[in-house]
Amino acid sequence: MFEQLINMVFSASFGYSIIRITSPILFAALAAVVAEKGGVVNIGLEGIMMISALFGVLFSYWTNSWLLGVLGAVVIGILVAMIMAVFALKLKTDIILSGIAVNLLGGGGTVFLLYLFTGLKGNTASLTTPNMLTPKIHIPLLKDIPVIGQIFSGHSVLTYVAFLLVFLVWILLYKTAMGLRIRAVGENSHAADSVGVSVLRTQYIALAISGALAGLGGAYMSMYYSQSWNIGIVAGRGFIALAAQAMGQGEPVGAMLASLLFGFASALGSKMEGMQGFSSYLVASIPYAVTIIGLVIYALSTLKRVKRFRDKAK
Amino acid sequence: MENKRQNMFEFFRGFVAIAIAILVAFILILICADDPGKALECLLVKPIISNGALNAKSIFTIFARMTPIIFTGLAVCVMFSANQFNLGGEGAVMLGGFIAAVIGIYLPLGAGVHVFVAILAGAIIGGLVMIVPAVIKVKLKASEMVCSLMMNYVIMFIILHFLNNVFADRSKGATQTYPFLDTATIPKMIPNTELSWGFAIAIIATIIAAYFMHRTRWGYSIRMIGINESFSKYSGMKVGGIIVLSQVIGGMLSGMGGAIEMLGRYKTFLWLDLPGYGWTGITVAILAKNNPIMIPFAAFFISYLNRGCELMSIYAGVPAEMIDIIQAVIFLFFAAEHFLSGTRQKIVVKDAKEELQKKQLETAKEGGNA
Repeated sequence: MFEQLINMVFSASFGYSIIRITSPILFAALAAVVAEKGGVVNIGLEGIMMISALFGVLFSYWTNSWLLGVLGAVVIGILVAMIMAVFALKLKTDIILSGIAVNLLGGGGTVFLLYLFTGLKGNTASLTTPNMLTPKIHIPLLKDIPVIGQIFSGHSVLTYVAFLLVFLVWILLYKTAMGLRIRAVGENSHAADSVGVSVLRTQYIALAISGALAGLGGAYMSMYYSQSWNIGIVAGRGFIALAAQAMGQGEPVGAMLASLLFGFASALGSKMEGMQGFSSYLVASIPYAVTIIGLVIYALSTLKRVKRFRDKAK
Repeated sequence: MENKRQNMFEFFRGFVAIAIAILVAFILILICADDPGKALECLLVKPIISNGALNAKSIFTIFARMTPIIFTGLAVCVMFSANQFNLGGEGAVMLGGFIAAVIGIYLPLGAGVHVFVAILAGAIIGGLVMIVPAVIKVKLKASEMVCSLMMNYVIMFIILHFLNNVFADRSKGATQTYPFLDTATIPKMIPNTELSWGFAIAIIATIIAAYFMHRTRWGYSIRMIGINESFSKYSGMKVGGIIVLSQVIGGMLSGMGGAIEMLGRYKTFLWLDLPGYGWTGITVAILAKNNPIMIPFAAFFISYLNRGCELMSIYAGVPAEMIDIIQAVIFLFFAAEHFLSGTRQKIVVKDAKEELQKKQLETAKEGGNA
């Protein structure tokens, strides 16, 4: 049984599914990174992904173009994040509570919106046409290399966008004036305020970027991964992304590595489901359990580092 | 009585928040219902009055549905009062219900004792699981929110594993356990309705929780930590221990709610997903402004709307999920501290001016007497 497992882990298709499963979590994790850097906890990622996933499908159905669908999902993601921002920043609703409200909207509210716009109940499977799905990209040259080509080529265009965004978000945060402002506000909003940075404006921008990234994650789920929208489509990925952000120490690259870890755990789970002797339910809990363990390990290492620092200071 | 007017204002603000939510509901109904008038009637009137008479059965259903969300509302009250955003209520409810169900099926005990043991076990297991996020937060400073969210899913999958592979009743088409023993079911308060004595337990729990939070040292400490953790620490409170205690109490309340809901409403365990009471509990706690004594009223309100949405989906074809949109809107406006802040500012200024005038008058009088 374990031999079978090891053979599976070292197969090219396993690598392929890790990347496939990681992508949506990566989008959301980057969204969490940007928000957190700006000093706001975006717990509404789950809801934003749900709503964007729905509107991605609807826009692409109405326009018959996957690209417009993805853009629609991003715009809706920004819109929802802005609603959250107005309540959290202007009307001073606790940011966590605003996020929970957005998640409520994403949970049952989407079912209602779907009915409102299409008359369908529960899922959009009947709307899906091939034009609506984001295309797979086969990278020339790379695709012909054995194993590596099988792992890295042939993903959705959005997958490549996700990994490219790790780099772009890093540039944004560390190489642009806007990024500096976002980090300054997150680090110490009073200090940022005292040198003339508009805290509110910066946090609005951080949340908008966060919403756009989560919107892409939603679009990936409904327009590639599941190929249609249904109520259980996001299944806690927005929450996992928050964990990935925490484990990745709030940095884009760290968040990517943490997302890959979840991708690995999920891929392992879904492959093990088919095997004899494993309970599919226990296996399904692995990514979530890994998150908690990862969080503990990260917290422990931080504590140790702080302690070492203090000992040195003595 | 300078606070009286401000209290009135708080009341008014809550009222406006609810009015906005209902207005949003109206607009949505106008857009999507074939017969908006009928849909509105279903939402607002039908839960208690049908065909011109009080609908007792429907009212009892509303009370019955209040039971679990009173428990989760109280749990959120206690947990959030310590400023801990522990969202593990969902998992604790499901686990409490599951453990109570297993005891209700496999541990034959005498009548009376059996129910008691099953509910107690549900409460204890709920409290135990909450130790995990609480200790991780207190000892390691890791986010209790993320940890509790992840724990919900872990708990759900573990329960599904045991339900499917160990406790399933294979003679049934659906995935469910064997039926509870008669001694384990909570008797109905009113026969032939959904309302069980669990509702009475919920009210008692409310009174105990209110007493605990506002009349005991522990409750005071929990609230103080929520208001200012550093102050509490420097004034000598054992902050870590009290935070863990508050989370364990929250978990126990959630677990107990799950157990009572399971044994009071169902005949066999058949939850295949997180039941959602944990999230509703947060809405209820916000409506009640974290005041335990207000929880049953908030729960009644949510339960009423829920029933209304349910009737609307049956009789007027509007999806019952509209309740989530209404809840989200109430949620956002109710918790918005600066909502209508301009008006509040005016009231505060007016109060201050009046006070000043009164004082001036008094000093003038004293001056006159001297």
